[in-house]
Amino acid sequence: MDRIILKITRSEGKHVSYEVKYRKGMTVLDALTEVRERQDSSLGYRHSCRMGICGSCGMTIEGLPMLACQTQVSSLNKETIRIEPLHNMAVIRDLVVDILPFFDLHHSVRPYLMRNNVNERDHSDREYRVLAKEVEKFLQFDYCIMCGLCYAACPTVALDPFYAGPQAIAQAYRYMADPRDEGWGKRVDLLDTSHGVWRCHMAGACSFVCPKDVDPAKAIQLARMEVLKKRVLRKRGKEGSKLVTTPMAGVAKEGVKPPPFDFGGAKE
Amino acid sequence: MKRDRRFKSGLVSSLNPTRYNLERWSYTIHRATGVILVGYLMAHIFETFQLGAGSTAWANTMAALHSLGPLELVGLWVVAGSALYHGGNGIRLVLNEAFGKFMGKPILPVYPFSPTSLGKNQKIAVWALTGVVLAIWMWAGAYLLAGVGVI
Amino acid sequence: MKDGSLIKESWNMVVTYATAAILVFVLTFHLLLHSPLTGKAFDATLSFGYATGNLTYYQVIFGFLLFAAVIHGFNGIRSIAIEWLHPERRTWLLNMIVFVLMAFFLAVGFVTLIVVG
Repeated sequence: MDRIILKITRSEGKHVSYEVKYRKGMTVLDALTEVRERQDSSLGYRHSCRMGICGSCGMTIEGLPMLACQTQVSSLNKETIRIEPLHNMAVIRDLVVDILPFFDLHHSVRPYLMRNNVNERDHSDREYRVLAKEVEKFLQFDYCIMCGLCYAACPTVALDPFYAGPQAIAQAYRYMADPRDEGWGKRVDLLDTSHGVWRCHMAGACSFVCPKDVDPAKAIQLARMEVLKKRVLRKRGKEGSKLVTTPMAGVAKEGVKPPPFDFGGAKE
Repeated sequence: MKRDRRFKSGLVSSLNPTRYNLERWSYTIHRATGVILVGYLMAHIFETFQLGAGSTAWANTMAALHSLGPLELVGLWVVAGSALYHGGNGIRLVLNEAFGKFMGKPILPVYPFSPTSLGKNQKIAVWALTGVVLAIWMWAGAYLLAGVGVI
Repeated sequence: MKDGSLIKESWNMVVTYATAAILVFVLTFHLLLHSPLTGKAFDATLSFGYATGNLTYYQVIFGFLLFAAVIHGFNGIRSIAIEWLHPERRTWLLNMIVFVLMAFFLAVGFVTLIVVG
């Protein structure tokens, strides 16, 4: 094919078609850039890295949420390509959607390491080594680039705007599985609500569209099992991790003994 | 109910599995069969209540149902199929959700990506249960609609 | 709970899973009583004598069936309603409605079992 037509859903639902000359290796983002540079400079869409790492260019292409920079036009096998804004998000303009609620949900699951001893942050001269086999348990979920495609694909999000969403729950599990995190119980409580982990019905659409193989559906089912371990099996915490404290190189001063292995709780 | 101003959200979007994966289709069918079964359950409880009212009341209830003609048996066949699919898929979902079966372990993603939760084991589980359900459903259909297979 | 429910959502799901497991067995049993394995045509399995006989002989099993089906079914409807209606401050009202419906249908069903049995 030497020409393709982009049928774009612009603001207020109107569909506008643009004809673009196809060249080999063209991505949907390249085609949109052609439209904006040569035909209609008012076309609004987000993009940044153009190499599938920033997650900005998520949009619905031929009915599926995809990253425009990672979608080759030739892979779609169509001369007319339908492009819409990401589903389940309010439209700001053309293909630009309001992604703040998605970020808020991510923030609500406390996506950071929670430690009981507040002295560690201010007086840390030791590091915690995480063993390779422990990293394997959560590394996959760490690859999330927060593109929002899973959120757009989820059928529960389509109904329930308060549902935490696949990305947030997957990130909650990422920290639950991290041996350095001491917030396991708190995260179980955050997920065990009427709009939490139990609103997932294993449709798997999130994993189907994820551009980084984070597999949020797997993380959600693993998170569910953690919740059941606390509620039904009455476990008090995750299985003990073999954390090893090692003194950080170059920090120990001469004549100063390193602190004991166990920080012994906050001494404030 | 607040009006949802998000783009293409809502009941239709939630239940529309076109372009998506097999498991999304089974989610939609699971939901639809669940609603059918609850509707039938409510009617069935009232119907069997007539048994307590005596044989005349029961005969009248049966006559009312028979007056629907072939719709009665076709409807029962649909309900039977719904129960079979919902039950079979439900077993798969309990294994997925509560025991993590067919999901695979966390792995290091390697391109071309293929999520293990939607991998071979999951697909075998879905197709196997669909096959078993269809086979029993056809058997039920032959019995209900054609009286075939009485042992 | 904060949203007006009496138990945590996880316990709700445990009840759903448990009733699902019970239903697989008791519903199979119920369907087999109206299957070719009885040696009767389908219409014959709907006769007054056969139906009341089953309810009398297998009263306990039908009791479990009624209980499991009503709890599982209306929990599912509640789940759909929470997602579709997402009543932030009125989840307690939704839970109340579902509870009342469950109680009503359980009552009708158990009355039938007691009267016939």
